[in-house]
Amino acid sequence: MGRATSKDAQALIHSLRSAYAATPSSLKIIDLYVGFAVFSAIIQVVYMAIVGSFPFNSFLSGVLSCIGTAVLAVCLRIQVNKENKEFKDLPSEHAFADFVLCNLVLHLVIMNFLG
Amino acid sequence: MGRNYFTILKVLSVTLLPILSLSFSTDSPTDRRLLVLLDDLSLKSSHSIFFNSLKSRGFDLDFKLADDPKLALQRYGQYLYDGLILFSPSIERFGGALDLADVLDFVDSGHDLIIATDSSSSDLIKSVATECGVDFDEDPSALVIDHKSYAVAETEGDHTLIAADDFIESDVLLGKKKIEAPVLFKGIAHSLNAANTLVLKVLSASPLAYSANPNSKLSSPPSLTGSSISLVSVVQARNNARIMITGSLDMFSNRFLRSSVQKAGSSRKYDKSGNEQFVTELSKWVFHVRGHLKAVNLRHNKAGETDEPAMYRIKDDLVFSVEIYEWSGKSWEPYVANDVQVQLYMMSPYVLKTLSNDKKGLYHTSFKVPDVYGVFQFKVEYHRLGYTSLSLSKQIPVRPFRHNEYERFITAAFPYYGASFTMMAGFFLFSFVYLYHK
Repeated sequence: MGRATSKDAQALIHSLRSAYAATPSSLKIIDLYVGFAVFSAIIQVVYMAIVGSFPFNSFLSGVLSCIGTAVLAVCLRIQVNKENKEFKDLPSEHAFADFVLCNLVLHLVIMNFLG
Repeated sequence: MGRNYFTILKVLSVTLLPILSLSFSTDSPTDRRLLVLLDDLSLKSSHSIFFNSLKSRGFDLDFKLADDPKLALQRYGQYLYDGLILFSPSIERFGGALDLADVLDFVDSGHDLIIATDSSSSDLIKSVATECGVDFDEDPSALVIDHKSYAVAETEGDHTLIAADDFIESDVLLGKKKIEAPVLFKGIAHSLNAANTLVLKVLSASPLAYSANPNSKLSSPPSLTGSSISLVSVVQARNNARIMITGSLDMFSNRFLRSSVQKAGSSRKYDKSGNEQFVTELSKWVFHVRGHLKAVNLRHNKAGETDEPAMYRIKDDLVFSVEIYEWSGKSWEPYVANDVQVQLYMMSPYVLKTLSNDKKGLYHTSFKVPDVYGVFQFKVEYHRLGYTSLSLSKQIPVRPFRHNEYERFITAAFPYYGASFTMMAGFFLFSFVYLYHK
């Protein structure tokens, strides 16, 4: 392979962007949601690094809610994506109902552990 | 009330317990009976000033010869006397039912003892003293000799009559008034057992004293020399029995009590030796007129409440109080000191506070229970020279927070609360958007 040039990097980004533009909008909404959850988790970790971990259970509860939300959204995205051969026969409503139930359990746990 | 208690106790002790001592009973501390054992009854008159001072303080003295065949300290398991004075240096064997073990049991049960011996001391008296923590010189002909601190007499003596003024510094033992004149001493030396922590030197010999036979030339350096020679020692046992031991029976005699004294090398002549003040004050201490403390009413409660809880919670505020009194010979007076401390103890003290007193005997303080849970003890340990030791403890458990006693809505955790709630809101909004977008 030849030297990697900035032109190759630009070509790479360009192709990624155009491929991503082709994804269905429902998946893009899920991606946005995951990004929001991870961003919130990062903010909390930075805050704990500054202030210290005094109510450690509250910190864990907050971070867990963000990460758990992100994980459940990713699972929804996998199950709903039409290009996934594994979940071809799973109706997307089924996937969404699972998503809602798991989130309810997650938030119940969070509220208890928040202290 | 005191007499009633006495008779009930007598009946109980005969029927129930083998030896119930009435040593220094806090309910009937006056009218105490002393057994005085003498070598010969002329001591009654030659030491009459000392004995009369004891009688005037309310003691009943029972004079007996040390080899009296009817001698007994206890009958039917109950002690007949509250204190023992051994003024019988040359007795080889006690008469009657008394022996060394009996005397030691007497002291072990909390009774007081005064031992005075002199150059005719027998091995029996020396072994009583050894058991109490004091070792007399083994040489039977040795006396304390001091060529610098002897008492000046008309005839040129052999410097065995000592004028001693090296007293221990203690108001409790020797009284508030300083003893100005030196104390006349003529007798044998003893030293303290170095391993014993309960024995104190009240009057020590000067650094130039030594213990040897005055009539013969010294063949080798004497074994007891200098300030390690104690002339008068006291022992305060852990059960608060008090023992006074001295090697000079003449120190108590009328002759020494009334005599004038002039220490060699000093021009000051005292009309009266310090003996009377010394033996009177020290015998007051031995028989518990000074320095006998009692602590009652150890109480603790939560700040703001009055009853004692069975358990505390961590980080509670509590108030602790105890009352300490000192026996003054006639009544219990409030004890005033500023160094009594209380500990909250579980394997090691978590809290150590000095109690403040209100000058009427009540000591109190307040502090916060530490952040550790477990079974603690309130401990008051008070050991001071010349005073009875106080060792009080009261057990108290401390529990952690109940699940509804923790802090809620901690300010530092608001970002985490915020994050959790925004996640919930976000989930709600997302599900709407996901389901109804075009």
